[in-house]
Amino acid sequence: MNKKNSSLGKTPGLDFLTVIILIGASVISLFPVLWGLSTALKTDDAVTMFPPEIIPSNITLDNFVSVFTKSDFMIYMRNSILVTLIGVVVATVVAAHAAYALTFFKIRFRKGISFFILMTSMVPPVALLVPLYMLSVKLNLYNTRILLILVYTAWRTPVLTWIMQGFFEKLPMEIVEAGIIDGCSKTKAFYKLILPISQPGIVSAALLSAVYVWNDYLVSSSFITTNEKKMISVGLYQYITQYGIKWGLLMAAVMVSIIPIIILFVCLQRKFVDGMAAGAVKG
Amino acid sequence: MERMKKKKNDTLRAVIFLAPALLLIFCFTIIPIAEAVYTSFHATRYAVVGDFVGIDNYISVMTENDGWKNIINSIEYVVLSLLLALPIGVAIGSLLNRKIKGIAILRTLIVIPWILSQTVTALLWGWLLNGNYGLITYWVYLLTGQKIDLFSTAILAKILVVIVNVWNTVPVIIILTIAALQTISPDLIEAAKVDGASRRTIYFKITLPMIKPTMATALVMQSIEYFNMVTLIYVLTAGGPFKETQTLSLAAYQNGFDYWHMDIAAAYSIIIFVLNIVFSLCYVRILKAKDD
Repeated sequence: MNKKNSSLGKTPGLDFLTVIILIGASVISLFPVLWGLSTALKTDDAVTMFPPEIIPSNITLDNFVSVFTKSDFMIYMRNSILVTLIGVVVATVVAAHAAYALTFFKIRFRKGISFFILMTSMVPPVALLVPLYMLSVKLNLYNTRILLILVYTAWRTPVLTWIMQGFFEKLPMEIVEAGIIDGCSKTKAFYKLILPISQPGIVSAALLSAVYVWNDYLVSSSFITTNEKKMISVGLYQYITQYGIKWGLLMAAVMVSIIPIIILFVCLQRKFVDGMAAGAVKG
Repeated sequence: MERMKKKKNDTLRAVIFLAPALLLIFCFTIIPIAEAVYTSFHATRYAVVGDFVGIDNYISVMTENDGWKNIINSIEYVVLSLLLALPIGVAIGSLLNRKIKGIAILRTLIVIPWILSQTVTALLWGWLLNGNYGLITYWVYLLTGQKIDLFSTAILAKILVVIVNVWNTVPVIIILTIAALQTISPDLIEAAKVDGASRRTIYFKITLPMIKPTMATALVMQSIEYFNMVTLIYVLTAGGPFKETQTLSLAAYQNGFDYWHMDIAAAYSIIIFVLNIVFSLCYVRILKAKDD
């Protein structure tokens, strides 16, 4: 009986059990988010009710309306979009050039530079925050969005370089050489040939970096004090003091901040997963 | 002659192609490390560096401050998180790899916590576990008849921080497990089936050993990640109660930006940096071993 099941045949019992366990896992995954959503849809009185209502009896959009109209949420959102876009685009461009040079140019210390970049990608942000704070105060860069962009760009560059080197190394060398023989210089071959064919991988690596920057709290909280310059990750935390922890408002703000990223993830799941696999296992 | 010219061209182009990356890394990683080393040997008042004090800051970290306690907390945090995240991740990843209709939707739902930031994760769970109005607090109240602030006892706080971390990061292991499982050739499994091996034997004797290298990578990668984590713990407990959940990384951050002891924070940063370099060298070795 058992043997029959395990050889090729269908196993409805096992499938059923698998689905039950996985549904359980997805409930655990989603529960905190749904509870946050339920809180965001409650009136102030219902939020602080004990025992709490799991599904609100009075659904109201007041919290969401306040987040959009009576707070600096939109400013934080704009700052996050600005810093993330510029930082990731610049880092990707810079890293692509570095990775190309390290893969296709015959230069001295190639392995050494490669290893150096790999090691710097592993220096943790938390070890750099304090000295960067001291330096930025000295250089008058403290509390500027330029500093945020520079820091994110610089910190994403090594990882991106490393990942793209992985992509480039896997390209068939003949294509590149054929391109060069066809009259392209190595520089031209990079823009006309290598970049276009590596584009899917580069996009997924960049996407993952974008999520990193968007989600980061440490850099944007350590180097920015002015409210108008804050990013959304820090702006959220701001609701805790600004309203003396009004959980309904806070959860509404959390929901608005994660909905774009969840939609992006559901649509581009494949790219996210590829990007992570490339970062973790190199190629 | 032609070849020599080509090589020279390559060098010049390489310099242009590499310069921006190296310049950025130099300014925002190398110089700060040097600055941290310098600061860690001096006394500071806010951002102003004062007298040279030798290794006093390091001694202070280990004696007056909670250096040892932080190290133990870090180890506890990393080990407990791995002990939970790895088995759960591999198990769910294995189940998700089965061919069942509609399983793709479940996969999407299950890995959603992965893209939520540590801030959002900590806020969502902080609210669930809120001492006055939290839903989980209410469930505990139903079970015990008492309304308890779950973060007020050291042991519970430690466990809760780990659980929240696992919730946020287990999708990484799940995704890596699925990716590794998909590289296993179906022919191999088929052959084992033909030989009459049971499902269980195939899974434990063939499948699991085949994904071991990827799991080793995940283990080291996640250890480093957990070791360097600040935001999640900071937002959930701020290191409390009585610094029982303050890890090394959190201590570096709090000494700098909560207590404004830049000298002590710099010493913490250097300790973290050195430990990371050691971890990373192990990581690179594992990657190399896998490549060969």
